[in-house]
Amino acid sequence: MQTKKTISGTFLKWLLLIVGVAFAVSMVFSWTLQTRLSEKSAHNLLRLNIADVRQDVIDASDANLLALTRDIAAEIDLGAPTDESGLLTLMAHHDIAEINIIDANGIITSTTHPDFLNYDMRSGKQSSEFLGLLAGTEREHVQSYQPTSYDPTLLRKYAGVCLAGGGFVEVAYDAERFQRDIDHQIVGVTRNRHVGENGCIIIADENWRIVSDRRENEGANLVATGIWIDRDTMPEGDVFTATVYGEDSSCMYVFSEGYYIIAVLPENEILLQRDTSVGLTAVLEVLVFLTLFGVIFLLVRKLVVNNLNRVNTSLSKITDGDLEEKVDVRSNTEFASLSDDINATVGTLKQYISAAEARIDRELALAKSIQQSALPSVFPPYPDRTDLSLYATMDAAKEVGGDFYDFYLLDENRLAFLVADVSGKGIPAAMFMMTGKTVLRDYAERGDSPAEIAENANEKLCEGNDAEMFVTAWMGFLETDTGLVRFVNAGHNPPVLIRDGEATFIRQKANLTLAAMEGVPYREQTLQLRPGDLLFLYTDGVTEAANENEELFGNDRLQKALSKRFGSGEAAVRAVCGTVKEAIDAFTGDAPQFDDITMLCLYYAGNAPAANAPQETTGASVIGDALTVTAKADELPAVTGFVNRSLESFGCPEKTTAQIDVAVEEIFTNIASYAYEGEPGEVTIRVREEDSAAVIEFRDRGAAFDPLAKPDPDVTLSADEREIGGLGIFMVKKSMDDVSYKRENDENVLTIRKNFTK
Amino acid sequence: MTIQKTLQGSALTVAPEGRLDTITSPQLESELRADMNSVTDLVFDLANLTYISSAGLRVLLSAQKAMNKKGTMVLRNVKPEIMEIFEITGFSSILTIE
Repeated sequence: MQTKKTISGTFLKWLLLIVGVAFAVSMVFSWTLQTRLSEKSAHNLLRLNIADVRQDVIDASDANLLALTRDIAAEIDLGAPTDESGLLTLMAHHDIAEINIIDANGIITSTTHPDFLNYDMRSGKQSSEFLGLLAGTEREHVQSYQPTSYDPTLLRKYAGVCLAGGGFVEVAYDAERFQRDIDHQIVGVTRNRHVGENGCIIIADENWRIVSDRRENEGANLVATGIWIDRDTMPEGDVFTATVYGEDSSCMYVFSEGYYIIAVLPENEILLQRDTSVGLTAVLEVLVFLTLFGVIFLLVRKLVVNNLNRVNTSLSKITDGDLEEKVDVRSNTEFASLSDDINATVGTLKQYISAAEARIDRELALAKSIQQSALPSVFPPYPDRTDLSLYATMDAAKEVGGDFYDFYLLDENRLAFLVADVSGKGIPAAMFMMTGKTVLRDYAERGDSPAEIAENANEKLCEGNDAEMFVTAWMGFLETDTGLVRFVNAGHNPPVLIRDGEATFIRQKANLTLAAMEGVPYREQTLQLRPGDLLFLYTDGVTEAANENEELFGNDRLQKALSKRFGSGEAAVRAVCGTVKEAIDAFTGDAPQFDDITMLCLYYAGNAPAANAPQETTGASVIGDALTVTAKADELPAVTGFVNRSLESFGCPEKTTAQIDVAVEEIFTNIASYAYEGEPGEVTIRVREEDSAAVIEFRDRGAAFDPLAKPDPDVTLSADEREIGGLGIFMVKKSMDDVSYKRENDENVLTIRKNFTK
Repeated sequence: MTIQKTLQGSALTVAPEGRLDTITSPQLESELRADMNSVTDLVFDLANLTYISSAGLRVLLSAQKAMNKKGTMVLRNVKPEIMEIFEITGFSSILTIE
């Protein structure tokens, strides 16, 4: 993966590059400029020094010649002969090259150089310069060393001084002569003269003999210094380079008064100047660029990078779901605008989300209310009936769920009631719940038995159940006249039977849940209710209600909450549901409710109003395969129901069951009538299957009495002769395959046996 | 258990439905006693009677005894399982079953 560069990193890179290029360009520029400036100033320095020295030389030779001329003029004025021989004597005496006497008309009247006699001074430019002496504008005149007008190959230096008798005397000497006179002066000229720091002046004569040199090489040839002058190719006043005394130097020369005046400046010194300037510039530039670089970098950090980081921090919070976060970077217009845009976008997003949430909430609320309205909600549902009371609630969790209850009278004597729970939550569960509820009711109203309803509903719900949902259900039909409940349990929580203040779970082997698998058989079971009994149905929202420590409410707490007397009728069913709700609320505390809590409570009063009164004296309890009831005829339905449930589970045919029913009634009625002689007592009935036979045992603790010992009635007698009574035991003997009596542990034990084929 | 009664002059038709056992028999007995004085033709329609025990037989026997003195008593539409009990107890020979 390519690593992304940071803005400050990129900026730093480009800034460095630009600063580097700028530095290099300015350095090159500065270097070039400084080189030229240094050279120019070096050349000026050379030129100035040469001009100075040249002037010194000229001044010295002028003064020298003038002094000689004045001496000669004075001697002539004092009367020295001016004919040729007199002049030659003067010339020899003064060791000069030439003496001319010029009259007032400018004509040479006497001379040491025969060719010049009668030469008119006006005829040459060089000679005419002396005419000012005749005009009286000056008393003396001196010329530089130059070619004469008369003969340009002859180089001379002339000076003229006016004579007292008119005209003037002109004296000349050649270079060799005046150099001999002034060399000692010239030597001094260069001694203390510096060109720049280490540069110097070298003066040599026409023959390259060094006349003056700071290194005291006077007399040596100029070549010894390393300088070579070719006057044809190297014009005077131009710079040339030479290695002087081993140092590369810029040099310049002029030829004056017969001297080569050479100024020398070492290259090192010129370059040092340039290098110093360039170095200084470089240091300054580095300082300036560093400052600039730092300032720009800090500004970018402050204005861009830091702000971007702040924006990013806010955006991360927003991305993490905190839509209340505001981006507030206002240090400049651009970021203020960016902040506003982001805030506006988030604001719009929030609006859309809340609009969508509101819409979903509305739809869920609507779905919930449709679901609620599908459940019967008028209580009491059957205000005219005294034989039963019923109350149900569904306390939905926040979401729509899949719980439901239902109840309806199939006919005058049969009440269907059920509680069910669809797996899952939300709209799918709610829709499946509506289907489930409708299907169950359709089959119930068609007249199916609970088992048939479960089987048919299962087939129906399995069709097209792509979502793989399932329903647990407990559905019962109460026969209101007998209190018998025929029920089918499709994987649902066991209901609670509250009898005489004792709560017990109706635990029977449950069937598979509905909609789980096609073609599953459902077994019907029965439960005998006694007047005064309460039956409590619920969903797992009750037992699985969790508190803040994630503990579940559980069966034990439910059983404990229900183990008390709730009275009777409408008040009792409401009290049961209310008690459970309070117990759950107290248990869960502030923990949120996760699942629907659905409860249905049925109170069975029975047919005979009188049966309600002695509630507390009756008592039936099923322990294992045994039923213990009070020995009263009223308990007959409980006994019959208990026996029938067992027989059904054995697969006993209906006809045989009917015969056994009669036998059971006869024996139980017999015990109820005689065993305790009016005192309260109990009967325990046990049913078991033994080698394709149903065996039923009755035990009571009444007075020892063998009913079988009584003689059989004569069934051949006419109606009028027959006794009323005494038929019961006879019927038992006749219809059962075996009837036996024994006295055991102070109990009467009567056992009947009936064979059957399944 | 429900009991339907149809009284036409001195003819009474009684149709008990469901079970006639220890608990319900007293109900039938009291119903009969209310009208017995004026009735001469008593008909029991047992089409919907599914169960009978000795208590029920007792009621039928009492009725038969009463009617022997003043008129007739007939049982109609007796189901096989009820008939079986009548056979066992010999009631089939003392009752008029049509």
